[in-house]
Amino acid sequence: MTQLNISHAVVITLTATFLLLGLDRAGELRGPQPTYTPRAAPAAPAAVADPDKGKPPPHNDTVDDLPDGKGREVTFYSCTACHGVALIKAQGLTRDLWDSTFDLMLERHKMVPVKAEERAEILDYLAEQFPPRRKGRNADNPFLK
Amino acid sequence: MPKSGTIKSSRRNLLKGVGIATVGASLAPAGVAFAQGTPAAPSAAKGPKLLEMDGKAKLIVLGDKPLNAETPAEMTDDDVTPIDRFFIRNNGLVPDAPADAKAWKIKIDGEVEKPMEIALGDLMSRFPNVSYKMMLECGGNGRSFFSPEARGNQWTNGGAGCAEWTGVRLADVLKAAGVKPSAVYTGHYGADPHLSGDATKPSISRGVPIAKAMEPHTLIVFKMNGKDLPLIHGGPVRLIVPGWAGSTSTKWLTRIWVRDKIHDGPGMGGFSYRLAKTPIVPGSKGDPKDTVILEAMPVRAVISFPADGAKLASRKLDLRGHAWAGENEVKTVDISTDYGVTWKPAKVDAPPNKYAWQRFTASLDLPSAGYFEVWAKATDSKGVTQPFVAGNWNPQGYGGNPINRIRVLVAA
Repeated sequence: MTQLNISHAVVITLTATFLLLGLDRAGELRGPQPTYTPRAAPAAPAAVADPDKGKPPPHNDTVDDLPDGKGREVTFYSCTACHGVALIKAQGLTRDLWDSTFDLMLERHKMVPVKAEERAEILDYLAEQFPPRRKGRNADNPFLK
Repeated sequence: MPKSGTIKSSRRNLLKGVGIATVGASLAPAGVAFAQGTPAAPSAAKGPKLLEMDGKAKLIVLGDKPLNAETPAEMTDDDVTPIDRFFIRNNGLVPDAPADAKAWKIKIDGEVEKPMEIALGDLMSRFPNVSYKMMLECGGNGRSFFSPEARGNQWTNGGAGCAEWTGVRLADVLKAAGVKPSAVYTGHYGADPHLSGDATKPSISRGVPIAKAMEPHTLIVFKMNGKDLPLIHGGPVRLIVPGWAGSTSTKWLTRIWVRDKIHDGPGMGGFSYRLAKTPIVPGSKGDPKDTVILEAMPVRAVISFPADGAKLASRKLDLRGHAWAGENEVKTVDISTDYGVTWKPAKVDAPPNKYAWQRFTASLDLPSAGYFEVWAKATDSKGVTQPFVAGNWNPQGYGGNPINRIRVLVAA
């Protein structure tokens, strides 16, 4: 029942053109391009509100922000799709509780699921690197060196 | 590409921020502060990250994404917490600031006779504006006191503040919409995007029973300490559900969905904002079906002067702090300098209005030079007090309100 009409043809032609130009990294189809020169002085914007005003500074972690160990990469890329590594490093949980934490991320926070073997690798990494470590109430005495 | 590492951490910052500058600057009157001795620089080489953000003091960063930062106790000495010292709690990303705040829309729907969508500007002019000094406290405040660790941001006592909030009563707005007899609960929605950036996922959506929504101190707020509500604190408009877990005080409010059952948005299920009904073994997985919703926050006293780790020049100590108790009033605050063997009552001021924290002060004569822990314990109007250790362990660490303590060293 699909019939091609003029507007279909236009859409297809435009899409193909943009695709070709987009893929044409060497610039062979576009011919010589004018060299880029930055504008001397940007025109004063007409009181456009800055949408980032009042926001906290942007934050990005790298994989090196997590301690080295087997499973570090998959852990980093799975977890930091949403949150920072500081949140991971602040935890001290048994493997069981890391396991239920994984469920929390999937169910409550709608994390993108990973394969079973990846989940196991992530849990092994987290359980090894971030086990319960809270010491007694005097472990951080400010008067001890 | 955004630059990384803009929230800086260094020993230098720690010493500058917490060790000397903050305490000296924050504790008025300065003469009193220094007569009592300057606080010791923390000895640990690795200190907390301190917040670097325009308009905010050097709060302690618990996490950068989402940004969560708490107020160190010695920065909570003001009766009305200044905006720059107010703690920051986010579940998602911070939305863009609107070009025109008064055009911001809030929808009221669900179990109401006349669903409505109202612009903030209309809301402000249509309903009576009221101001109260009220507590806002993260549901997880005190989580770091649990042993073993409970899951989540490791708040000490600094996820709490008392600001002067100006807004309209949620009750007035709900009455205008006509609450149906079938209404049971509210469901709150805000404009903060999910951390993944996926616009189809709400970052969090919590609610309260209709009775709490209709309580005259539950407000739709647009001013904080007399200023337009800052973006980072939920501006241009948020809810304040005083005395209850802060997650019900939805930031960047866009919708109140009146429900015919307990709200089931993200943050209402599992162990989120829930306490164990049957006590569980600390560190065990627990059963999410055997839990109850955390509603009002527990009673808590926090010493704001002197700072933990202060070195005192003399044995005389004039200490002060604030205490609060969720839905109740604080009746007494008791101080012990001998690990709870003996207690001495502090002077406790009446709150300026319901849900405000209350100032306590005490003059102590420490018996000798040397090391002391100073403990402060509040008791509320129902006779409920604070435990010696965080009890009723739960996987996400709610309700941790053990007796507050600071450690001081009196010069020989």
